[in-house]
Amino acid sequence: MSCRVRIAVARRFLAGILPVLLLLASTPGSRAFAAERFPLALTDDRGVTVRLAAPPRRIVSLAPSLTEIVFLLGREGSLAGVTRFCNYPPAASSLPKIGGVSDPDVERIVALSPDLVLCTTDGNPRDKVRAVEEMGIPCFAVAPQDLDAVFTSIERLGVLLGAADRGRTEAGALRRRARLARPSSPDAEKPAVLFVVSTSPIIAAGKGTFMDELVRLAGGRNAAAGFSGRYPRLSVEELVAARPDVIFVAGMAGVERFPPEVTRWKEVPAFRDGAVITLDGDLVTRPGPRLVTALERVSAALAGWRRSRTKSPAAGAGGKR
Amino acid sequence: MTGGGKKSGAVFPVLAAALLGALALSAATGPVAISPRAAFDAIFRGTDDTPARVLLSLRLPRALLGALVGGALASSGVAFQALLRNPLADPYILGVSGGAAVGALTVALFLSADASPLLPLCAFGGAALSALVVFLLARRRSGVSPERLILMGVVVGAFLNAVIMLMVTLAPPGKIPGALYWLMGDLGQGTPHRVEVLFPYVALGMVLLYLLSRGLDLLLLGDHAAFQAGLSVERVKTATYLTASLLAGSVVAVSGLIGFVGLIVPHGARVLVGSGHRRLLPAAFLLGGAFLVLSDTLARAASPAGELPVGAVTALAGAPFFLYLLRRNGGRS
Repeated sequence: MSCRVRIAVARRFLAGILPVLLLLASTPGSRAFAAERFPLALTDDRGVTVRLAAPPRRIVSLAPSLTEIVFLLGREGSLAGVTRFCNYPPAASSLPKIGGVSDPDVERIVALSPDLVLCTTDGNPRDKVRAVEEMGIPCFAVAPQDLDAVFTSIERLGVLLGAADRGRTEAGALRRRARLARPSSPDAEKPAVLFVVSTSPIIAAGKGTFMDELVRLAGGRNAAAGFSGRYPRLSVEELVAARPDVIFVAGMAGVERFPPEVTRWKEVPAFRDGAVITLDGDLVTRPGPRLVTALERVSAALAGWRRSRTKSPAAGAGGKR
Repeated sequence: MTGGGKKSGAVFPVLAAALLGALALSAATGPVAISPRAAFDAIFRGTDDTPARVLLSLRLPRALLGALVGGALASSGVAFQALLRNPLADPYILGVSGGAAVGALTVALFLSADASPLLPLCAFGGAALSALVVFLLARRRSGVSPERLILMGVVVGAFLNAVIMLMVTLAPPGKIPGALYWLMGDLGQGTPHRVEVLFPYVALGMVLLYLLSRGLDLLLLGDHAAFQAGLSVERVKTATYLTASLLAGSVVAVSGLIGFVGLIVPHGARVLVGSGHRRLLPAAFLLGGAFLVLSDTLARAASPAGELPVGAVTALAGAPFFLYLLRRNGGRS
């Protein structure tokens, strides 16, 4: 009995002091800055204005990308709950879970008594978010559609969480890395690139996906851009007809290799030259800081492809300049 | 369910021509350009360029798979409709589909990685097992009544559906996209090997059903009348049930759940050749095959977003045609 009370007191003391400690540790001199900004009113990507009197101390994140951003901003000490998909940084896995991205449990969210819920319009059901808002908990929605918007969202979340400086520096660093990752000369050869999120059936990333943007930024052509829909499903014949030079597979904890009856089509340059590269699916599907890591890997792979072309001028068709 | 074979003998040549035409159209449709000449060379001269290989290892197997699957589903539907004396019976009515789906999802969940060769096997196992369970549950000492079969099939099917929902919900992300697409029905798995594997099952099932056709005719009169006519009713029922389930199960294992064909094509075939099973079974096979091959061709040709699952196209494409057929005939069934 008395033991439990003691633990509760200790917990409360810790919960109170932890953010302060973290602030002191992470960004010296930013306390005055944070205090300056609050109370603040910030409009989210839905057009809803969220008002906070002070930096939030109990945050619930409803998407893995948002969890990664909170960690990037050094505010993980305020994370009270995350989804069951939040596995990065590894420390996120041990935080209390509130369900999935498309099926968050409103009751569990409310039970954590957060003072801010971070959500996304790409994945979180609108009615669940509304239910949380009706309980008087402010929800801030972020829905970046391209890399630039991801950087901006990091800056805005920095302001919202009382880590504005950190948000600016981190976003700036990411922007620099993204610039460096792009091919040096604008007229570098553009390989036909296929990005697949599933190998059986073959489901490609089409226009309007982050993977499409990664391919373009890295100086490639998306071989699936001709199809409508964000995730067209390709038959083997369509893959053969598209003739991609490089294929990326977004590994999703499932099947990550093409079955042999697909890879035996040596008409496809990527299979002929062994240019099939597996990337962690989390990197390329989450609009968070690691998207830049994905861009660096895609760029490096395409640069490697260009180098192999200059070494051995490929015989036959394929010269697209 | 009367209305004898009043149509002329020209129906079968027309149906056979329709199936061949559908196969040809299917083989001619696709993103890789293949001239008729190249096709001819590929088939008769054994050329080995890209068009030839696309034709022989992608398009033709897929078309043949469609013919086998469509034919088997339609014939299996005919058998179930006779067995259960119910015009709304289809090959999936007795839990075959649920069993196959659970089998397939089990592969996707627990054996992960490249389990695609195992998927048909486990789907077939699941289908066979659930069909057997339904049959044993429905059996009484007095025999198997259609009502009990349907009831048990529905209960077992509901239970399996709940299991499917649990599996899909609790699966880690990215584990079962393949299985989900498979559930929608898909002929994209058509490889020469699959066609070879499926063919003996379908051939055996069709031969057995054909041998049972007199029995099926008598079953339509009711158990009592069939018994009076000297039919060993229970044995015919058991044989029909097992054969039709085998057909449905083996097809589901390869191509997933394709709806509509097994339910509606038998009625269309009845309009064309009457309800004598000796003519109805082959007619349903040809009509179902042609119909599914055409639906699949449409699914590949008409879709701007890569492939549509053929299961989504069968009813869309087929409903108007079969409505016309059934209405024109006064819609007696």
